[in-house]
Amino acid sequence: MPMYQVKPTCGDDIKIDLPTCMYKLPHIHAQQGDSRSSEHALQNGEVDPAVSALEARQDEILRKLYELKAAVEGLAKTVTTPDADLDVTVSSSFSSQSSRSIMLEGSTDLDTLLGEDLGALRDIVINANPARPPLTLLVLHSLLSQRYRVLSTVHVHSSVSSVPPQLQSCLGPRHPDSYARHLFQLGFTLIWKDVPKLEMKFSVHNMCPIEGEASVARFLFKLLAPYPSDPAAATLVDSWVDTAFFQLAEGSSKERAAVLRALNSALGRSPWLSGPEFSLADVACYCCVLQSCAASSAPANVQRWMKSCENLGHFSSTKQLLQ
Amino acid sequence: MLCSLLDAKSTTAFPIRSQDGATEEQQAQSKKALKKQQKEAEKAARKAEKQAMAASEQQGADEDDFAKERYGVSAMVQSQQKLDRVLVRVQDLSPEKADQLIWLRARIHTSRAKGKQCFLVLRQQQFNVQALVAVGDRASKQMVKFAANITKESIVDVEAVVRKVEQKIESCSQQDVELHIERIFVISQAEARLPLQLEDAVRPDGEGEEEGRATVNQDTRLDNRVIDLRTTTSQAIFRLQSGVCQLFRDTLTKKGFVEIQTPKIISAASEGGANVFTVSYFKTSAYLAQSPQLYKQMCICADFDKVFCVGPVFRAEDSNTHRHLTEFVGLDIEMTFNYHYHEVIESITDTMVQIFKGLRDNFQTEIQTVSKQFPSEPFKFLEPTLRLEYTEGVAMLREAGVEMGDEDDLSTPNEKLLGRLVKEKYDTDFYVLDKYPLAVRPFYTMPDPNNPKYSNSYDMFMRGEEILSGAQRVHDPELLTQRAVHHQIDLEKIKSYIDSFRFGAPPHGGGGIGLERVCMLYLGLHNVRQTSMFPRDPKRLTP
Repeated sequence: MPMYQVKPTCGDDIKIDLPTCMYKLPHIHAQQGDSRSSEHALQNGEVDPAVSALEARQDEILRKLYELKAAVEGLAKTVTTPDADLDVTVSSSFSSQSSRSIMLEGSTDLDTLLGEDLGALRDIVINANPARPPLTLLVLHSLLSQRYRVLSTVHVHSSVSSVPPQLQSCLGPRHPDSYARHLFQLGFTLIWKDVPKLEMKFSVHNMCPIEGEASVARFLFKLLAPYPSDPAAATLVDSWVDTAFFQLAEGSSKERAAVLRALNSALGRSPWLSGPEFSLADVACYCCVLQSCAASSAPANVQRWMKSCENLGHFSSTKQLLQ
Repeated sequence: MLCSLLDAKSTTAFPIRSQDGATEEQQAQSKKALKKQQKEAEKAARKAEKQAMAASEQQGADEDDFAKERYGVSAMVQSQQKLDRVLVRVQDLSPEKADQLIWLRARIHTSRAKGKQCFLVLRQQQFNVQALVAVGDRASKQMVKFAANITKESIVDVEAVVRKVEQKIESCSQQDVELHIERIFVISQAEARLPLQLEDAVRPDGEGEEEGRATVNQDTRLDNRVIDLRTTTSQAIFRLQSGVCQLFRDTLTKKGFVEIQTPKIISAASEGGANVFTVSYFKTSAYLAQSPQLYKQMCICADFDKVFCVGPVFRAEDSNTHRHLTEFVGLDIEMTFNYHYHEVIESITDTMVQIFKGLRDNFQTEIQTVSKQFPSEPFKFLEPTLRLEYTEGVAMLREAGVEMGDEDDLSTPNEKLLGRLVKEKYDTDFYVLDKYPLAVRPFYTMPDPNNPKYSNSYDMFMRGEEILSGAQRVHDPELLTQRAVHHQIDLEKIKSYIDSFRFGAPPHGGGGIGLERVCMLYLGLHNVRQTSMFPRDPKRLTP
């Protein structure tokens, strides 16, 4: 404890003449006589084990509080700026959860992720150009529909004159309950519109529109499962997503070939791109391989991995769109 | 030379000025300059002489006009003879017609005389073309003078040669050609003093104030509607309005709807009883129909399945706002459905979307013309139309800081705000708000099966303003009686209405749109009087 150390102002041996008209009480300092040695020890700069235990407990509580604070801040970040990756502290606090999640079964609560329900359907509006259908988002939509009650609607904006029928039905058949919007947890509204870059609008008050398919995909994936607990693994997922969108989808044929080789060697080491678990990296890379028409000429591991992706059952819509 | 010039009484100042200049400057100038000056003076003198000759010629020519037969005010057309003359439309004048001699009937839009030439702009509806009368072997000086003196807005027949022009004529709709007039006859003369100038009437708001030019206020326009309607903007607005009607009819007919006509003189007030015009009807009184609602529903009960009607609707509301009229054109729809009233919503919204698409694809020139005077963002919509629920709308408003109860009706400012919020998120100017609270809807509205506080009713909005209000109607006489009693409506007065459901009535729903309001909001105008040809409001009964 940070206190000044002061020498005793008087000794024990002072003799005082006590009047006899008063009760005699035993010496209170002398009562602690048995602990006198430890008192001395404290004054010599040594620490009482009981105090240090208390100190340790306080530190532990504070640490936990900081962790909790960081976790909450991280969550707030995912809501307000979904582009920001989760902090390490957040992932560590989620570690118990993510270890439980097998194939995205982790229980993520929409209230904590997207803010409290105010009575309106939480509607994710995605403006996409029909010339470049966002395949990853369709896969993520399929995954989301499995997890939540999702009201999916497709609209055509007046800036687009006509849209092929397969794009109009790309979110599958209409939900039989679609007449009652309040029965749904999440809205997924896809608007085919003449936009230069894909954009997503969620809460017009608290959030600016998010641009780019990769950013939107990250946002949607966080509704399904937290990012990997390990920062290295999280970075790995991110780098694969970037590789997919920058080098596979937009890159030259040389770049594409290089990415396919890298995919092949990564998939030789583990079943999925980011290790033992299926992640956004797999969704992004699968869709971009498919889009770049490199699927047939892909190396063996990539072929096998694509098969396993397809076996998950969420990729069928993308194939139909490209046909 | 100078003497002869003065004798000829020419008023041109040119030679005199050069002389003055010469005397003034002679002192200070070198020999060379002097020579030059002399030469110039000579040149000017020669020119003046020519002009003098022309002037004297003109005097002589007053008696001798070689082009006498080529212009004049023609006798009033009383169908004296049937000419086989082909008149070309202004909009068809294109470089392909270059060097052809054509006949054309148009109004004088503007005229500008300049010496031996007179420039006219000839207008036909929203199209116009530049024309030129110049002294030459076809036109005499008198003819040019005559052309220059024709009053604006007069109707003329001209014979002219179409000529390509080097530079585009920016001020006309036909930019690549002009007309060289060879004959010009006035068919109908306009009075010299116009109550308003067309160019003032099409000037964009605000622009006139900056440049100190006139703009025409709404009342002057409406008082002189005939001239106001001639402006390109008005032409475009009412052509577009006709398009809305046409598209409405076409789309619904294609969907299997039947157009019906309903009476406008009725015995009982249909909605509530307030806001109706009473008219004397022989020994008793009658009302003007507020909506064809009851008759539409009776047609449904009479097995017409799906009906629509286009006709006038009267509202005795004493409100002088930008969007209220006492008489307007209602486009009404009523249809049966099988199991859910959303079938009706889908039919109506699809009709609206077809109208919007038709306008977007076929009326682009009109939309552009109007937006030149009244700039606005192009109308945006989604297909299929966005449907939100009332509770969602309320939640969105609350999120934006509006305080309102769950069952409160939307106030006009809140409607507008909600429109902005929806536009921001979905980028659409047209959407449906579904499931209104039962308390704010008329008695014949079907209550929601799951929540008695809400109802199967909906409003549709364009640019944040309500254009259609509709619902599933109660088709069961018992429930209808119950609802009427709840609303404290005299059952005797609506007996025939309730009775019409006693012999089996299919579930049905519908709604009505105001044509003027739809046009106003589609074009982003700010006053419904602009889209009503001869508007009726509490303060205006004429023209």
